[in-house]
Amino acid sequence: MKLELQKGSRSRVLAGLVIGIIAVFIARLFYLQVIQNGYYVAQANSEQIKRLTIPAKRGLIYAMDRSTPVQLVMNQTVYTVFADPTTTQDDNKIISVIEQVAGGNARPNLQALLALKDSRYQILATKVTRAQADKIKAEGLKGIGFQEETQRVYPEGTLAAQILGFVDYAGVGQYGVEGELNSRLTGKDGLLQSVTDVSDVPLTIGSNNINKPAVNGDNIVLSIDRNVQAHVEQALADGLKKIGATNGSVIVMNPQTGQVMAMANLPSYDPANFNQVQDAADFNNPTISAPYEPGSDMKTLTMAVGVDKGVVTPASTYDNLGYMDVDGIHVLNGVGLGHLGTITLQTAMNFSLNSGFITVAERLGDGSNITLQARNTMYDYFYNKFKLGQLTGIQLSGEAAGTVIPPTDPQGNAVRYSNMAFGQGLDVTMLQMSAAFSSIVDGGQYHTPTVVAGVVDASGKYVAQALPPAQTTVSKATADQVREMTHVARGTLFSYKDKPGYEIGGKTGTSQTLINGNYNNNQTVGTYLGYGGDSTPRYVIMVQVSGKDKTFEGGRDAEPIFTDISNWMLNYLNVQPKG
Amino acid sequence: MSYQNTTQFSSRRQQNWSRNQNTVAFISSVKLGPVAHTVLVALMITVLGLIYLTQATRATSYDYAAQKLDSQIADLNTKQSDLAIENARLTALQTVKNSTVAAAMTTPSDTQYVR
Repeated sequence: MKLELQKGSRSRVLAGLVIGIIAVFIARLFYLQVIQNGYYVAQANSEQIKRLTIPAKRGLIYAMDRSTPVQLVMNQTVYTVFADPTTTQDDNKIISVIEQVAGGNARPNLQALLALKDSRYQILATKVTRAQADKIKAEGLKGIGFQEETQRVYPEGTLAAQILGFVDYAGVGQYGVEGELNSRLTGKDGLLQSVTDVSDVPLTIGSNNINKPAVNGDNIVLSIDRNVQAHVEQALADGLKKIGATNGSVIVMNPQTGQVMAMANLPSYDPANFNQVQDAADFNNPTISAPYEPGSDMKTLTMAVGVDKGVVTPASTYDNLGYMDVDGIHVLNGVGLGHLGTITLQTAMNFSLNSGFITVAERLGDGSNITLQARNTMYDYFYNKFKLGQLTGIQLSGEAAGTVIPPTDPQGNAVRYSNMAFGQGLDVTMLQMSAAFSSIVDGGQYHTPTVVAGVVDASGKYVAQALPPAQTTVSKATADQVREMTHVARGTLFSYKDKPGYEIGGKTGTSQTLINGNYNNNQTVGTYLGYGGDSTPRYVIMVQVSGKDKTFEGGRDAEPIFTDISNWMLNYLNVQPKG
Repeated sequence: MSYQNTTQFSSRRQQNWSRNQNTVAFISSVKLGPVAHTVLVALMITVLGLIYLTQATRATSYDYAAQKLDSQIADLNTKQSDLAIENARLTALQTVKNSTVAAAMTTPSDTQYVR
């Protein structure tokens, strides 16, 4: 059958009209689907495709318990409980449940909060644990919601607070390891891009899905031994209480590796309640951030320079007048130290006589002057080899470099270097001093100080971190002689305090403080820097005590804390006595 | 349905005789017009569409199952973390120090070493 429409008939007009309308539709569809394709696809995707961030878990921080890592900082999922007062019904029941379950985490004025019926969001409780949240959910309260968040928790309480630092409300690490290793601990968030349903459940349909898993932060294992740290903190607190000091610091270091086993300061703070700290200075770790004039602890390093350059030995003698004149400046020994006349440098070390070490500095020059050559030599050893006055690179936030003025500086004259020989006129941190002294104790090998021992990998296995190669500061013969000098020096005054059968050495230090550019004799810092072990030194301990307008001495005030820790360390490390 | 031999054609190759060659073509006796063809094609497209929808729905149901499992995993991970924290708190130095076991311990007066 063949349909034919007569020319000009209404059917033909209708057919033309229909074809015309269809043509318009086709044109419009062509415009929408082809020409405007990109625009409408984007519109659809923006509605249907969701980009969800997969948050990376912040890495945990471990300490060592002898050779086993134990958690010091962990993550806990907690909830903020909120209400929509426009939809809540039984307010009394809500108040009763929240107060009963959340306890101290509940807001104090729940009745008033729920009465704000023109508000749609009121926080009723914060930091509610999962178990507590489950109990509240089980009550089926209408208008109550939960927001999940993660917080850091500290099973060991305030232990090692200034080493750890804290994580602020923005999730950024501040101070300590949290601050310095923030990027390693943070990890990298992942991305989930997918078509979702109305409940935001990701669906596998669609061709633009992306599933990029989050990379969790590293689980850092510190070289800090929690048992040593706990004892050191207790010993420091007890020691400060006895002498009436307000400030104190202790470092315990393994001289064979440079690993810090403990690092304690007082005053300290509670990282779980960092927002309650009154003085922000409490966040600092003075062992790395507060350079000071090291005082007589420095004499061991000056002696090492002299012995290493072959200009003196422990048995070398000089005429002790109780003072030295350097470029017309009268430099005194400490008041009432005595031992006048011809004495050995060992005697000068035993009784911490400044003149002995100015003599060493002079002998590094022409024998009676601290020449430019002597100053260059001292600077080379102090700065380049012992690495004083420069950052050690320890993995802790807020490290300060300190200052060692070079001979090329107009202030780097003979008088300054005579002072530097016995620990004045330069600023160093306790960590720098401990690391430099450790190199003497370990046969002239400098180990870069570190607080990181390794990581715990995703499978929970501890992987130790390789240590950087040691650098030579002085020859082994020099180091052994100077170490023996400190052993003798300790034996002269304090051997009765040590457990018999062990090799314990150390040097006292008492530093005046600089106030407005002048040395203040009424505010002194006491330090003791020593080591202990059997035939092999196992630890180096440095103690510092101080307080505003108070005078402290190394031998009288810092040394007892050293002794307490040293004798405890011998037991803890199972070091057997010699002979 | 039967077929009849309708056309006989001879190609040049056939003339030369070869094996395995169709030498007979069959034409169905059932004739389908353009409307029937259109309906059949539409039906086929509909069936294909239904198959696609079935599969897509099935995939989506798997998504919900996977989402439920993910949720369970997250919940178990949270529980595991809570238990790990509780374990760490129970084995913390201060807890151990304050325990009854520790309270009953004494400090040795002397230590002897086996040489």
